[in-house]
Amino acid sequence: MRARALGMVLAIAFALSPAAMAQEVVIGALSDMTGATSDVGKDYALGIAEAVNYCNDNGGVNGKQIKLIQFDYGYRVPEALTKYKLFQRMKAVAIEGWGTGDTEALAPTVTADKMPYVSASYSGHLTDPKKTPYNLFAATDYSTNARATITAWHDTRWKKHADNGKRKPRFACVYMFASPYASAPIKAIKDQATLLGFDIGPDQDVSLFAVDTKSQVLGLKDFKPDVVWHGNTTMSVSAFMRDAYALGLGADHIVNLWGLDENLPRLAEKAAEGTMGATVCAFYNEPNIPLMPKVVEYAKKYNPGVPQEKRLIRTVQAWSNVLALWEAMKRADKAGALNGEGILKKGFETMKDVDLGLGGAKLTYTSTDHRVSGSVPVYEVKGGKFHLVQVTDIKSRWPDKWPTWMGW
Amino acid sequence: MDLILMTLTTGILVGGIYALVALGWVLIYKCSGVLNLAMGEMTLIGAYVSLSFYSMGIPFLLSLLFSLIIGFILGVLTERIFLDRLIGEPVLTVIMVTVGLSFFFKGTVEFLWGTDTRAFSPPVFSIEPIRLGPLIIGRVYLWSFVAAIILLVVFVSFFKYTRWGLAMQATADDEMAALSVGVSARYVYAAAWAIAFMAAGVGGTLLGNINGLNISVGYLGLLVLPVVVLGGLNSVPGAILGGIIIGVLQNFCGAYLDRYFPGGVKEIAPFAFMAVFLLFKPFGIWGWERIERV
Amino acid sequence: MSTSFLPCGEYHQNYHEDHAWWQTKFIKGKMVLLMLVLFIGIPSVADSYWLSVCNQIGYTALGALGVQLLIGFCGQVTLGHAAFLAVGAYTSTLLILEFPWPKFLVELGLAYPISILIAAIVAGIWCVLFGLPSAKVKGFYLILTTMAAQFITVDFVITQYISQIGGRGQAFSLPPGTIKIGPWVIDSDLKVYYMMLVLVILLTALVLNLLRSRVGRAWVAIRDNDISAEVMGINVVQYKLFAFFVAGFIGGVAGAFWISNLAAISPEHFPWFWSLWLVGVILIGGVGSIHGTIFGSIFMVVVMELLQMAVIPLASSFPKLLMDFLFIKEAAFGLAICAFMIFEPNGLAYRWWQSKNYFNLWPFSY
Repeated sequence: MRARALGMVLAIAFALSPAAMAQEVVIGALSDMTGATSDVGKDYALGIAEAVNYCNDNGGVNGKQIKLIQFDYGYRVPEALTKYKLFQRMKAVAIEGWGTGDTEALAPTVTADKMPYVSASYSGHLTDPKKTPYNLFAATDYSTNARATITAWHDTRWKKHADNGKRKPRFACVYMFASPYASAPIKAIKDQATLLGFDIGPDQDVSLFAVDTKSQVLGLKDFKPDVVWHGNTTMSVSAFMRDAYALGLGADHIVNLWGLDENLPRLAEKAAEGTMGATVCAFYNEPNIPLMPKVVEYAKKYNPGVPQEKRLIRTVQAWSNVLALWEAMKRADKAGALNGEGILKKGFETMKDVDLGLGGAKLTYTSTDHRVSGSVPVYEVKGGKFHLVQVTDIKSRWPDKWPTWMGW
Repeated sequence: MDLILMTLTTGILVGGIYALVALGWVLIYKCSGVLNLAMGEMTLIGAYVSLSFYSMGIPFLLSLLFSLIIGFILGVLTERIFLDRLIGEPVLTVIMVTVGLSFFFKGTVEFLWGTDTRAFSPPVFSIEPIRLGPLIIGRVYLWSFVAAIILLVVFVSFFKYTRWGLAMQATADDEMAALSVGVSARYVYAAAWAIAFMAAGVGGTLLGNINGLNISVGYLGLLVLPVVVLGGLNSVPGAILGGIIIGVLQNFCGAYLDRYFPGGVKEIAPFAFMAVFLLFKPFGIWGWERIERV
Repeated sequence: MSTSFLPCGEYHQNYHEDHAWWQTKFIKGKMVLLMLVLFIGIPSVADSYWLSVCNQIGYTALGALGVQLLIGFCGQVTLGHAAFLAVGAYTSTLLILEFPWPKFLVELGLAYPISILIAAIVAGIWCVLFGLPSAKVKGFYLILTTMAAQFITVDFVITQYISQIGGRGQAFSLPPGTIKIGPWVIDSDLKVYYMMLVLVILLTALVLNLLRSRVGRAWVAIRDNDISAEVMGINVVQYKLFAFFVAGFIGGVAGAFWISNLAAISPEHFPWFWSLWLVGVILIGGVGSIHGTIFGSIFMVVVMELLQMAVIPLASSFPKLLMDFLFIKEAAFGLAICAFMIFEPNGLAYRWWQSKNYFNLWPFSY
């Protein structure tokens, strides 16, 4: 056992020796490429690697190259923990995380260790710097997105509805109760619905792996909702939409961002027409986005084996997170503090209205609020493709309520 | 009344798919005594193979046929390579080997086809449902049920009326006696696995048509277990009946019980029901009762 | 009553020596050396990463100990053990956070140790609940009822009901400083490591002693042939349920330990995959042997880590290659499990026993 440990130490030293010689900044990345969320995790992981290459090609962190150590942890949380320790050992200054599982599990540890953790889990309760100062992400959080989406639906569809003004619109939520990620924004969206004057119906529990959801659709039929919120990922959202179409539920669908990607119209076909949802950045290869040609170019260059039609918006999300971290690291380095605390205080928290050029909101972090913005682009599906409906800014519409919405 | 009828119909139709996959499971157990925990991944392989052929432009039924042929070959290979050496080993070892097999299949499927969600496009079944009075039935479900019934009839007649079927039944009943009459146990095992792969393949293809194909379709493998336990591990009609019962049960629990609990009843209802049922009928509905002697 | 060979010239003069755990001076010396290495040696050379690997090994070993008891010594196959770890973890967490402890207990830092004990007892009782079918059901059907335990507990009871207690939802973290044993706050890997060592040693000693007693003999009799055992007069149902209780107890301790490792909890930490993993651990280590549990845990954790580390040189090249390697790794892992089962069905403990005998019998080890 000890001989093996010695051999491993030698192997690691060998692997790291080139790193020790060059001037390098190490960041770690945890991805799910083989586990339960691998259908979107893989695309995101590819995006991270390509974005890091872009950063290195454009000067790295003020001349220092970024060394990315990327691990797949297959959504097995105990492994995420040991990988985190390995990253610390390899002197990583920040970590690109992935989903709710690893982010929640490591939140107390990264707070104690002062390690910036940029996750793809945009959960509302990670935005409070008093509780989780080192959990960050370059995106509007789930709760803000949910509020913006239902507001946008109310602004556009309900205003044109025949019953507008005659009765209250009806709203119901469909999500997996047991999943922390799916249930994260529910309280916020119900609060927003009450604010806008909706009648709220019974929640329906649909598993992330559901194939048949007819009983849940039938559970809503009596309530006759006008709009239904989907908290799950694409496969189960599509299952529900197809069943709703077959059974004639007649409701509009608004979907959270992990259920809204290029696969949705492919899976649900006609049933997905008219679906609305918020995103945190533009879709892959969307025209008129400044940095999109670079995203596509790097995707083709570094992963030529993955066909272009397979690439999803998740790649662009990954680019957002990496570019934001890069910007923060550059600022921290200029201030002479390229370590965990520096990246947070002198990096992220000095960013105001930073536009990454990927079609998302302008990022602003303050020491009291890690929500990047209140402005959320809302898209809809028309003819199998995504079109921008409007950019809803809930911060400027409810400025007095905005500070109270932080953290949940 | 409408709700009850709709729930019942959906349950029966979905149960047909469960029954199909359970069929393969029961076959393996009946003929070779192997408790197979890799059923979900076998479903995946069949589904992805038909998807590949379909994406190449081959018509659906023909791709299904090709996937059946490949399933047959894979079944024979699996049995030969992995399970031959385990004849006589304790039950737990065999189960763990099937678990290892499931990781192996999953890794191979991910390697060959990636982890993205894929859909059969152009869609094989129209999304428009069929309306029969108050009932609304999705086309995919109807065809899955029909396929399950057809396969059931095929299998039952195979077992009853052909020599091969009789040989497999004989081996399942008493291996020593079958060997002494000249039945080759190895061929029987290989045939069992081959048929299981084929049944799982058809089930998987149909499932993939319902809502797109992804690794998560393999989690169906877990649901197969309550189905076969309910129906009895050794009984082919039991598998069909168990599938339908579980399908109906899930749907009824989802429709009626969800409001009394904070939610999530639909997923665990099969397991809870099975656990309670076993207390009354320890061998399932039609399972063979084992009489143990010291 | 020595299970290993006694060298020539060694003889015992009273029952006390004969019943001793460590029979010869040589074995005593070995064990002292082992304790020195574990308590002093490893913490002084290992850094945080390797300590966390050791903690992971300890956690796996604690989980696998309960499974080994049920499968290896009592013959009841269980495929749902992660549920009881979850019960232990959640009970302990909720007790620490919600229960109104009297001031002096919190001051003395006894809240967490007492909560571990209570969590273990609750987990044991919960396990007995799901062990009740074993009175009537055997073999594969029992496997299925334990699987049902896994899903019902983790996916339903915990996520739906338990998460309501305290209003935190099902995935939450503990504020720093809440986990205290006596005067020490458990917040670093080193302290978790010592806690892990103490727990593993205590529980292993508990299990070994149980196995040596009447209870253990009854379990082995049930495992070998439960009908004969009943004929002989052993109350089979009672001993089976007791086995479930002890296994649940150990699982509860493991779960309560887990929260100190991570200071966060979620039902996602206890998936069905983990139950399967624990069974795999004992199969690879050797069924029916406590050595096997430890070896199996060490093997599985270290191999997973090594495989991941072998990926480091690849991480800097094209990501697509990295991903293909991951899938190959998963497939290779499955193949490795199959290969182990086919070629080494008695596990690592068997190999260990063989090499020990080689040295013990040298130069006549043929």
